[in-house]
Amino acid sequence: MSTFRTENPGDQPVWVNTDNCKACDICVSVCPSGVLAMRYEISSTLGAMIAVEHPEACIGCNECELSCPDFAIFVADKQEFKAAGHSFAKLTDESKARQAAIAANNYYSIEQGAR
Amino acid sequence: MAFNYEKYLRIQKMPTLWCWGCGDGVILKAFVRAIEKMGVSQDDVCVISGIGCSGRFSSYVDFNTIHTTHGRTVAYATGVKLARPDKLVVCVAGDGDALAIGGNHTIHGCRRNIDMTMIVINNFIYGLTNSQTSPTTPKGMWTVTQKAGNIDPTFDTCDLAIASGASFVARESMLDPKKLEKILIKSMEHKGFSMMEVLSNCHINLGRKNKMVSAMENLEWIDSITTPKKKYDALSEEEQLNLLPTGILKQDTEADEYCDMYAEIQKAQQGQRKPISQDDFAKKI
Amino acid sequence: MATREVISTGNELSAIAAVDAGCKFFGGYPLTPSSEVMHVISDLLPKVGGVSIQMEDEIAGICCVIGAAMAGDRALTATSGPGMSLKAENLGLAQMAEVPLVCVNVMRGGPSTGLPTRVSQGDIKQSSNPSHGDYRSITLCAGSLAECYTETVRAFNLADRFMQPVIVLLDETIGHMHGKADLPTVEDVKAGIVPRKTFDGPAEEYFPYECGPTEAATLNPMFEGYRYHYTGLHHDKNGFPTEEIETCRKLIQRLEDKVMAHQDEIELNEEFMCDDLTGADGEVLIIAYGSVSLAAKESIRHLRAAGIKAGLFRPITIWPSPADRIKHFTDKIKNVLVVELNIRQYTEEIERASGRLDIEGLYKVNGRAISPHEIVSKVKEVF
Repeated sequence: MSTFRTENPGDQPVWVNTDNCKACDICVSVCPSGVLAMRYEISSTLGAMIAVEHPEACIGCNECELSCPDFAIFVADKQEFKAAGHSFAKLTDESKARQAAIAANNYYSIEQGAR
Repeated sequence: MAFNYEKYLRIQKMPTLWCWGCGDGVILKAFVRAIEKMGVSQDDVCVISGIGCSGRFSSYVDFNTIHTTHGRTVAYATGVKLARPDKLVVCVAGDGDALAIGGNHTIHGCRRNIDMTMIVINNFIYGLTNSQTSPTTPKGMWTVTQKAGNIDPTFDTCDLAIASGASFVARESMLDPKKLEKILIKSMEHKGFSMMEVLSNCHINLGRKNKMVSAMENLEWIDSITTPKKKYDALSEEEQLNLLPTGILKQDTEADEYCDMYAEIQKAQQGQRKPISQDDFAKKI
Repeated sequence: MATREVISTGNELSAIAAVDAGCKFFGGYPLTPSSEVMHVISDLLPKVGGVSIQMEDEIAGICCVIGAAMAGDRALTATSGPGMSLKAENLGLAQMAEVPLVCVNVMRGGPSTGLPTRVSQGDIKQSSNPSHGDYRSITLCAGSLAECYTETVRAFNLADRFMQPVIVLLDETIGHMHGKADLPTVEDVKAGIVPRKTFDGPAEEYFPYECGPTEAATLNPMFEGYRYHYTGLHHDKNGFPTEEIETCRKLIQRLEDKVMAHQDEIELNEEFMCDDLTGADGEVLIIAYGSVSLAAKESIRHLRAAGIKAGLFRPITIWPSPADRIKHFTDKIKNVLVVELNIRQYTEEIERASGRLDIEGLYKVNGRAISPHEIVSKVKEVF
């Protein structure tokens, strides 16, 4: 049993519920901005777990939330986020390049370091 | 906060029993978002699922739900809908459930044009029971019952629905959840039988045995065999051969809906109108 | 109780009874010799705001009936042997999910296509366990035109009381027989309707399948603010699928016990001319049901006129069988003759209930009725 965590844990543009995540890679693959990556996690069933590595690069496109089959990743509601004084990022060449690198690394983090 | 999924889900049953990356979860999400946008009360919705991985759909959503025997969703749904014609009735069935054992009921649900939506989650295999051939498994693929290659020709779910008389027929995949959500709303708002085929990935029990090991590879394959209807119509027959058109393929808002027609029968039997005759119909045969 | 005299056929009376008993939905498929139930009810139901639909096959027929019952309607289907075979799987779902419905089976010659227009009682064993797995069937058998009406009414009340399908057996003879029937008044029938139990507390406190070990589930109609899950899988108190060891054991045991612990509410017999049977030498007990019992009663009049003290024990509730009452008679009376239009299907139950292996039988399976003369001859031959 898990609690859903649709509540924003604290002014985040995007956050995850690792209880529900099955490490399927889909959210990482649809993010245009290199925000997400899989990390090796020895205690998880598939040996991997989702991590929000660059929340500051999140453009709020919502693709990750909509593509997640397991209700494991959530994006802040645009109006609420704005009203709290925050804004989503814009897509940059740097974030696009980072995303390409993550995808080329089989969706695994390029920052976690060698296993 | 994000969209209030908890309102529509039986969260004590989560995480789902579906494999990691299974499209069923994406369709589930698009479905509850569609219901929210339609503004329908949860008490007015009935979700009826069959047997298979897609059959577990109904146990995860907080509506009036029924998990039926294999292939019979439309038959159960016909009873529910005729008993309560003002409610939103949605069937969820897999490709085997809807087209093999349930083929007859699917055909007749379409024929009656009874107001309900049938979401056929087509993952091209019998997933839950480990890789047996389904009526949509591509020819030549490896299945556990045809290890030397599938020789069974395939059904086109949408062609079948159109030929059987469904008044709304559409196909999408779970690759574009935003599009899927929109078309789900259209299919449920349509008055009449809506056939909503959603192509999905089964990388565990189809892909892995057919050189598409990951969820991503299966999604790429689905992408490669689909194209929007407008583009599809402009292609040559040869180019169309291994493509499935997506989008709304048929929409007839004038067709007689079965519950409405039965209400006329009730009126006729109660003496409020004359009996129905051939003159009441333009197309009779 | 006041009665009214009606002239009709068994099939028609069953249809009329359903509507009088509050049935609002019929789903079925044409199958000789039951089709007239559907023909008649397809006129009656829309008149009272109900729905009657001829589906594409027998399986769809039972499925839509279960769906309508889940929505809250009293629902009926009618068929014959081949249709019962087709409906078996979904009758099982209705048993497992505890959905009330009435299934009329107008028996014909079998097996398979058999003798579509001729009589048999060949579905007795089938009706005790039409579907796979463990549960207790409730099966009633009409032995007269009036009972085609009253047993259908009783079936609806039993279905709602025990939350499961109830089978009403007619046979081709009684289904097509045209004659006089003394029926209860519609007012009395309506006054006697006992609808299913419902829960009216707060939805958070509603657990449809949580009940005592000999109780039926309390299943509120759909769409009324109580949302839960129906499934054919083993399930927990919410209706959600589970494989938990104790939950599964308790569920199946409860399906058995909810019927067997309350057999007194289901059992119904007729003991025709049995009052003066003491167990003395030469007495004869005939056991018969359905249309055969009409011939049996006539044969008893002939036997008594010839100086043979005979009586008829007629189970009206076939399943669960009235084992104790059967034993009461078979312990007393030496000469027992079972007369049925099948090969020993209920005889084997009589043997089990009585503990005796010397039960005589008169069996016929050629699609023809058994005459009083044949029964009299058999009695004189074997006793």
